[in-house]
Amino acid sequence: MAGLTAGIFIALFDLILNFLIQSGTDIRQYLSALSFESMDYFLLNLGQMGTLVHLGLYTATGLAGSALAVFLRSDSVQHGWQNLKSNISTFITRTIENLPPFLQKYGKYLLYLILLATLLILPTRWGSYLNFVIGLVGLYTIPGIGLNIIVGLSGQLVLGFAAFFAMGAFSVGLLNAPEPHNLMWGFWPAIIVAILMAVAAAVVLGLPTMRLRGDYLAIVTLGFGEITRILLKSDTLINLTGGPRGILDIHGPTLFGKPFTDVYYVYLIFLGVAVSIFLYNRLQDSRTGRAWLAIKEDPIAAQATGVNLQKYKLLALCIGAAFAGLVGGISAARNQFTGPNDHTLMASINVLSLVIVGGVNSIPGIILGAFALKGLPEILREVQNYRQLAFGALLIVMMLMRPEGLWPSSRPLIEKGDRSQIEESKTDKGGTDA
Amino acid sequence: MPEIIIETKEVSKLFGGLTAVNLVNLVIPKYSIYSIIGPNGAGKTTLFNCISGFYTPENGEILYFGESIHGSATDFIASIGISRTYQNIRLFSNLTAVENIMVGQHTKLKTNWMDAILHTPRFSRENKKSRSEAIRLLGFVGLTNFGDFLACNLPYGLQRRLEIGRALANEPQLLLLDEPTAGMNPQETHEMIKLIRQLRDELKISIILIEHDMRVVMDISDQISVLDYGKKIAEGTPKEIQANPRVIEAYLGPGGAALAKKYQARRRKNA
Repeated sequence: MAGLTAGIFIALFDLILNFLIQSGTDIRQYLSALSFESMDYFLLNLGQMGTLVHLGLYTATGLAGSALAVFLRSDSVQHGWQNLKSNISTFITRTIENLPPFLQKYGKYLLYLILLATLLILPTRWGSYLNFVIGLVGLYTIPGIGLNIIVGLSGQLVLGFAAFFAMGAFSVGLLNAPEPHNLMWGFWPAIIVAILMAVAAAVVLGLPTMRLRGDYLAIVTLGFGEITRILLKSDTLINLTGGPRGILDIHGPTLFGKPFTDVYYVYLIFLGVAVSIFLYNRLQDSRTGRAWLAIKEDPIAAQATGVNLQKYKLLALCIGAAFAGLVGGISAARNQFTGPNDHTLMASINVLSLVIVGGVNSIPGIILGAFALKGLPEILREVQNYRQLAFGALLIVMMLMRPEGLWPSSRPLIEKGDRSQIEESKTDKGGTDA
Repeated sequence: MPEIIIETKEVSKLFGGLTAVNLVNLVIPKYSIYSIIGPNGAGKTTLFNCISGFYTPENGEILYFGESIHGSATDFIASIGISRTYQNIRLFSNLTAVENIMVGQHTKLKTNWMDAILHTPRFSRENKKSRSEAIRLLGFVGLTNFGDFLACNLPYGLQRRLEIGRALANEPQLLLLDEPTAGMNPQETHEMIKLIRQLRDELKISIILIEHDMRVVMDISDQISVLDYGKKIAEGTPKEIQANPRVIEAYLGPGGAALAKKYQARRRKNA
């Protein structure tokens, strides 16, 4: 269900954009006309005062954001919002009740089918620029879900996630590029090696460090990420990995002898996202997933109920790293290049922040987060001078309105009982407990 | 001679210069309710932590069914049937009550992450079984219909009961209860006593109890040990402990025994 809603969101967004482009409006033209210089020139031709104006603008948007948040939190707005929500939900249930029985039974699958068709058709229609943006969002969603297994489920703050990207990217690069080794294994075997290498790196990192907790683990893994990057950049491994120059001309995947176009890449990424959502959902509702959640809540109590902390933390790290290795490999092939500077600390922090902005343990949240932090800046590249302004206001609104992320998770209810009965017995008990 | 479930032999635990537990010998027979009492800081919880594997004692040995579990990891000790609850409730607060119990079943379940991904028949069978078992256990500890509540939203008394439910989920032989009635009103305390008796009589679990409420201790214990400054100062049935002058002095200070005698005599006279 979560995946479905997220998919609909993406599809909707792209339909709108596509429509705009189809109708002959070139958004980018308008956006570039809005560059800061022109605004400065037309509105605030103040020369040296420019910086002050910036500061003033930041403050103003911040204030506007908080005012907006206060307004949105006021009783009447909240009340209206609740009304709207309940109206929509009753509308939906009523529509479902009025549907013919055939649709009631198979409607869900029909919706999935429509979504699948949309996702298959759209990339061929909307042009390579949007394919690039959507691919980017997808390429951040997969490691977002992977990192969410580590941070959101098992509660280990790992900051060296980029090291696992690097493992994947360099595996594909070294095995499938003419320089420096000219191995040319082909993409598919290389991507499997990429995943295995990332898992191996996770084991190497995890065995000694999974005894650490909280801040200490964050610092050690951060160090691991930086060490990996600096090693790749240094001259020590220049014969093996190509050093600071990186690996050029990485060959992409082929299917029945045909090389991948950008549309196929988008399909591949969609497939990756689908697989990771599937894995995440399966793992979450299992003995393993519950053991992870228990470790996150209280490691000591978890161990005393029989959970082997080392084993489960390491397992979470390995699965998360596998996702990162996959993405590292795909993006290296897609960009036809990988270098040490693709795998900086910033990459790790980006993934972590998209998980937190979107909502921990929530798949639609992570997709939304990837879109907000990676897709939107790409689309709004022309007005990036104003990005920071919007970001400030957005942060304030988010802190006040959505402290748990854009789309926070709602944990599934396991025991389906009669809710009214529960409420009754609660009030009964409440009397004696008070 | 009844079978012995757990035995501590001259167990000592040091924290720097402080000897928290000092050469303590305990012999706990099977199917008994054995209480450990003593003033605050006497080392009762430290002894529990030694048994459940949080601490490794510097000296001595702990024998479970005659086999040493000295220095074993906490999760291994849980897997061989020793469960515990905590003085400050340690539930998984953002998991629902049912999920808390399902985590408790961890050592009894066999499926691994591969089963979970592939949804093997073994996985669906075990998942269904563990869920119904968890709901049954919730009923046993008196939380029927509370399964969907997040643990942190439950009232205090029910949190204590849920913690016991989680400890029961791995079908323990030995249950360590650390102040199960702390902060409860008389009604709840009474119900808790009933539950503890039920654990012993119906589930055949041996229980070690740390408790400050003397009415509870004297009511349900078969045997009592008294710790003071890490040392065992007395052992016996509730009657013997009540009459033991060393125990009274440990609680009331030196001269306390004589004082207590005087008060008892005066009370008898007044009555």
